This record gives sequence, C-alpha cells and structure tokens, in this order.
Amino acid sequence: MPEPHEPAEGAVAGTGMGGAMDLAASEATTLAAGEAGAGPGAGPGGGPRGGPSAPARSLWSDAWRDLRRNPVFLVSGLIILFLVLISLWPSAITSGDPLDCDLANAQKGSSPGHPFGFNGQGCDVYTRTVYGARASVTVGVCATLGVAVLGSVLGGLAGFFGGVWDAILSRITDVFFAIPVVLGGLVLLSVVTSNTVWPVIGFMVLLGWPQISRIARGSVITAKQHDYVQAARALGASNARMLLRHIAPNAVAPVIVVATIALGTYIALEATLSYLGVGLKPPTVSWGIDISAASQYIRNAPHMLLWPAGALAVTVLAFIMLGDAVRDALDPKLR
Amino acid sequence: MATPASRATAATAPPPASTLLEVRDLRVEFHTRDGVAKAVNGVDYAVAAGETLAVLGESGSGKSVTAQAVMGILDVPPGRITSGEILFRGQDLLKLKEEERRKIRGADMAMIFQDALSSLNPVLSVGDQLGEMFVVHRGMSRKDARAKAVELMDRVRIPAARERVTQYPHQFSGGMRQRIMIAMAMALEPSLIIADEPTTALDVTVQAQVMDLLAELQRELHMGLILITHDLGVVADVADRIAVMYAGRIVETAPVHEIYRAPAHPYTKGLLESIPRLDQKGQDLFAIKGLPPNLMDIPPGCAFNPRCPMAQDVCRIEDPPLFHVTYEGLTAERRSACHFWKETLRG
Ligand SMILES: Nc1ncnc2c1ncn2[C@@H]1O[C@H](COP(=O)(O)OP(=O)(O)O)[C@@H](O)[C@H]1O
Ligand SMILES: [Mg+2]
Repeated sequence: MPEPHEPAEGAVAGTGMGGAMDLAASEATTLAAGEAGAGPGAGPGGGPRGGPSAPARSLWSDAWRDLRRNPVFLVSGLIILFLVLISLWPSAITSGDPLDCDLANAQKGSSPGHPFGFNGQGCDVYTRTVYGARASVTVGVCATLGVAVLGSVLGGLAGFFGGVWDAILSRITDVFFAIPVVLGGLVLLSVVTSNTVWPVIGFMVLLGWPQISRIARGSVITAKQHDYVQAARALGASNARMLLRHIAPNAVAPVIVVATIALGTYIALEATLSYLGVGLKPPTVSWGIDISAASQYIRNAPHMLLWPAGALAVTVLAFIMLGDAVRDALDPKLR
Repeated sequence: MATPASRATAATAPPPASTLLEVRDLRVEFHTRDGVAKAVNGVDYAVAAGETLAVLGESGSGKSVTAQAVMGILDVPPGRITSGEILFRGQDLLKLKEEERRKIRGADMAMIFQDALSSLNPVLSVGDQLGEMFVVHRGMSRKDARAKAVELMDRVRIPAARERVTQYPHQFSGGMRQRIMIAMAMALEPSLIIADEPTTALDVTVQAQVMDLLAELQRELHMGLILITHDLGVVADVADRIAVMYAGRIVETAPVHEIYRAPAHPYTKGLLESIPRLDQKGQDLFAIKGLPPNLMDIPPGCAFNPRCPMAQDVCRIEDPPLFHVTYEGLTAERRSACHFWKETLRG
C-alpha cells in the first residue's frame, strides 16, 4: 500500500521544478488552505475564473499581470476608455450640436468657445470631432464582434471537424482574400442607399471573417491535439463539451489578439470608405466624412482636416497598440 | 515439454461467458501524405471481467492505436478501421452510433494515458475535471459533483483532498496527477479500463505505488484491465495474461507465468532477454537486432522474419496464423504466431 504522503516523490518533484514553480505552488497551497478555512460550503462556487482559488499562474491571470505593468497597454487602454466614454456620452464634454451649422462661420479658425474652429459648412469642428468618435467606435466594435463571432465559429468548426467542410471553407476564404477591400467597398456599397452604419458594418464582416476564421481554425487544430482533449473524449465528453470547455478557452487567445488589431484597421477602413463617399453618409457624423470634406480646403484651412484626421490616427494607433500589448502578454504562454 | 498442437487459425468460436471485451481481426490504417501505414493488422485479444491483460511490444507496434479503436477515439481521418469487430459484452461497438459510443466511454470503459500532466486540462481545477465525469454522465449539479470529486481524491489517496480539490494540475506532482487521472477513469466504476503506459512518464520510485493503486482498484471493482506497456518488468506482478504485439499483430498470447517460463515466439524471447537483470550487470543486454518494420511496407511472410534468429524460408513466404500452443500441464489458452513455436518453446 502506498504511503499517503509519498515522501520520495515529493522530494523529487521539488528538485525537478524551477524555483518559480515551487513558489507558485506554495503560494497557491496557502490560498487554497485559506479558502478551505471558510468552510466546505465555499467550495463549488470558486470556479477557474476569478475567486480566491484562481490558479497562481494560469494563462489569463498571468497575462493580466503582465498587461497591468505594460505602459503601452496603460496608455492605449486609457485612450480607448476615453473614446468609448465620449462615444456613449458626447454631451459630457461638448454642449454643441454637430449638425448646428452656420455658413457664416465657414472655415473660420479657432475662437472662444470653438477651440478647433469651424469647417466648410460652418459647423463646430470640436463638436464634430467629439461626435465622430461614436461612428468610428460603433463601426469598429460591431464589425470586430461580427467578424470575431462569424470567423471563430466557422473557422473553429472547420478546424475541429476537418474533412470536407474544412476544405470547402479553405477555398471560400481563398476567394475572399482575393477581393481588394477598397474596390469591393466601392462596388458593393455604392448601391446602398441607407444612411445608417449597418451596411458598412455588414460589408466589413463579410470581408473580414476569413481572416479570423483562419486564425481560429489554426488554433483549434493546435488545441485539439492536446492530450487532455483526447482524454476528455476518452471519458465521454461530447463534441460540444470538448469544443466549449476544453478547446475554446485554450484557442481563443490568438483570436483576441488579431481581432483587437483588426478593430483599428476597421476604423481606418470606415474613414476610407466614407472619404470615398461609399461609407457613412451625412447626417451621420464621421471623421472620414469630415476628412473628405476638409481635403479640398487643405491649403486655406488645414485645421478642418487636422482635428478629425488626428483623432482618427490616435484611435487607430490606440487599438493597434492595445492588440500588440495583448499579444505580448499572451504570446509566451501560447507556445 | 511441447506436445503436438492443433494448427487452428484465429478463433471464431464464441467467447466464454465472462468475456468482457473481445477484439477480432481488427485492422487500422493511417492514410498520410507519405502513404498508407498499416498500424494494426488483424489484432485478436480478449479480456474477462476482473482480468488484467498486459499488451506488450516495442513502440510503434500498434498498442495505442488498438486501444484508441476500442475506445472509439481514433483520429479519423487519417485513421480508418478497415475490418474487424470490437465486442463489448457481446455487442459490436463498431456498429454503434457515435452518440451511443460516447455514452459508453467514461461510464463503461475508460482510459488512462501516459502523461497525466498533458492529459489534464491546465485551465480547469482538478475538482472541476473530476466532477465533470458526474456532470456529463450523471447530470449531477456542480456542487454534488464537487463532493464526489473530493471522495474520489480520497479514494486514490491524495492527502488533504478537500483543500486540494480547487487546485490546478500543475500544482500536483507527477504521481499525484496520475492518481487524479486514475480517479477520473474510475469515477463511474467502468467495467473496463485501458491504461496506456500509465507509469512510463513517472519517476521510478513512484511507478510501483501508482501501479499498486491501479491493481488494487481493479480488484476492488472487479474490472477488466488492459495494461499497455513496453516494460516486461512491470507486468509480472499485476497481469494475468500477456499479449505481445509486433507490427500491428498479436504474435503471442499466454498466461503470464507460462510466458515467463518459456516464450513461444522468438520476438517474446528477445523482449524477455532485454529486461535488465541485477545479475547481468556489466554484460551487454540482449537487444533484438534490427529495427521494427516500416508500417508502409511490411515484409511478406512473418513480419518479424528479417530480425528473427530462427527464420527459415517458410517465414519469408507464409504469414503464420496464431497457432494454438499446447503442452502437458497447460490449462489456459495459449497462442503463438510462429511457424517454429515448438522449437522456440524448447529454447
Ligand atoms: N494519428 C496518426 N497519424 C498517422 N499515423 C499514426 C497515427 N497514430 C499512429 N500512427 C501510426 O501507427 C503506428 C503505431 O502507433 P502506436 O499504436 O501509437 O504504437 P505503440 O505501440 O507505440 O502505442 C505508428 O508507428 C504510426 O505509424
Ligand atoms: Mg503508445
């Protein structure tokens, strides 16, 4: 009969692992012991996410610890937080109305109460720049969510089941990759008359999902080969359970990284399409529309271009920086 | 000691009543870019309730693939079962729908893998993973499942189970992790367990403890156990029968003591002579010369013939069936796929 304490084994394991692991293990032992003190009733509630019993060094908690210390993440995170807040409540930092324009003020420079001056239609550039964030953030977030969901589901299923569906999906993504985005936008969106954000979002989802689906497919194939997925299967887990409980949590990181970076590019694409006249249309307020309108006055009144273009550049950069930071935090543990 | 034997081919007679699992003429191929690998080429074996069958053979001989086919977890594609029957309590598993097979996995037959660290999900606590067995198969609430998990951890003698149930796999030592895997496999008291090299990844000092635990639980629950290993040393204490695999076939099967006393296949003989023994220190170990065959191009005749010290012309032409081995004093069934089993038996 084995000894309950397995002294020999304990000793070997202790010398075999690195010092950091030992530290983490003892840390976690303390945590777990602390929780046990709270009574057995506390047990089932403490899942892997959060709670005092969270692993000392799981992928996510590790990544989060890295992120919090990364200045790139902090700066981009603050910018994005600010953007989200002003797109939800633009009136918090401007009392003006972006559609309240007076041609008498057209192209005027900065004046009291109108720090960024006026545009070609005599609208307040500051107010329009603030309100423009909403369109950019809405398009960026919705397009990314749509792309991430559609791409992950299709790519994930193809990767998981393989075979014919996988082959078909690969050919379809090849076709989509061959479509030039701007040309596709000019053709497809020029027939749209709606002046909401949805046709633009729909277009981005249509052209964007193959990128995520490739990533999701690859990471599901990698995750699927882990022994614990085979083990779960050998113990009777269904396909759905294997996918959702064992594969998805271990495959989702690359999708998050790519989607975050893509979010920035969707915002830039919205501006591009709006600039070309096939994206958002007035009265929607968008940086792309304003950049387009301002470009003809660039010599006389550069401020009209400067502010929306600057806001766009900072926003796109913030999302790309955020994606980079997230990748750096997740990457070492993905190998 | 050998007496004339009946030259019967692979059994087609009905299995004895207590037979739990019987694999008949199982064949598995892998279709890869380089060609078709014939990993399993007509495996026959049977396990009774309460019996331990040790499956032995060099790595690549198809032990794991056979097990995967039995469990129904073969990678398809590239794998493909081209023929055979897998009778579990008399029912051919290969004729069942996937959903029916899934319900059998974990509940009626379970598998233990070589490397417990990689067989446990790193992002789920061991309690969640143990409890999952009860959630999946018994529809238990998470709370009840957690209580069951603690019970199981106690049963496989993990100290401080109640405190450690919320911990993650990496916080346990190798032996403890393998105990957790064993606990998961035993959770629903299946009637058949397949353990695929359960102690290979462990420290020598722990191997015996884990093996003892497995054997003890097997006796308690009167399960059939298929113990896959390439270590003949482990087998002697725990196994009832041995099946030796070579190039995807069973080449010899016999009660464990008979095989140790006198192997009836030159390959088994080679394996036995490769066990390091204390009294042989300093001497060269007998290793079977040559390499296992390329599974895409298995030699004609007996697959072992290029490496066999006893090979004759017939071995290069005629693939030997599994002959019935009989001799005075042998009560259980014994078989060998060697044209010269009698000569081999005499040593
Ligand atoms: N997933 C796979 N894809 C392709 N070939 C495989 C796969 N799994 C096993 N094989 C083939 O089957 C052979 C036998 O493998 P296996 O049963 O794992 O051997 P072992 O007896 O060491 O357990 C391997 O050498 C390999 O050629
Ligand atoms: Mg193997």
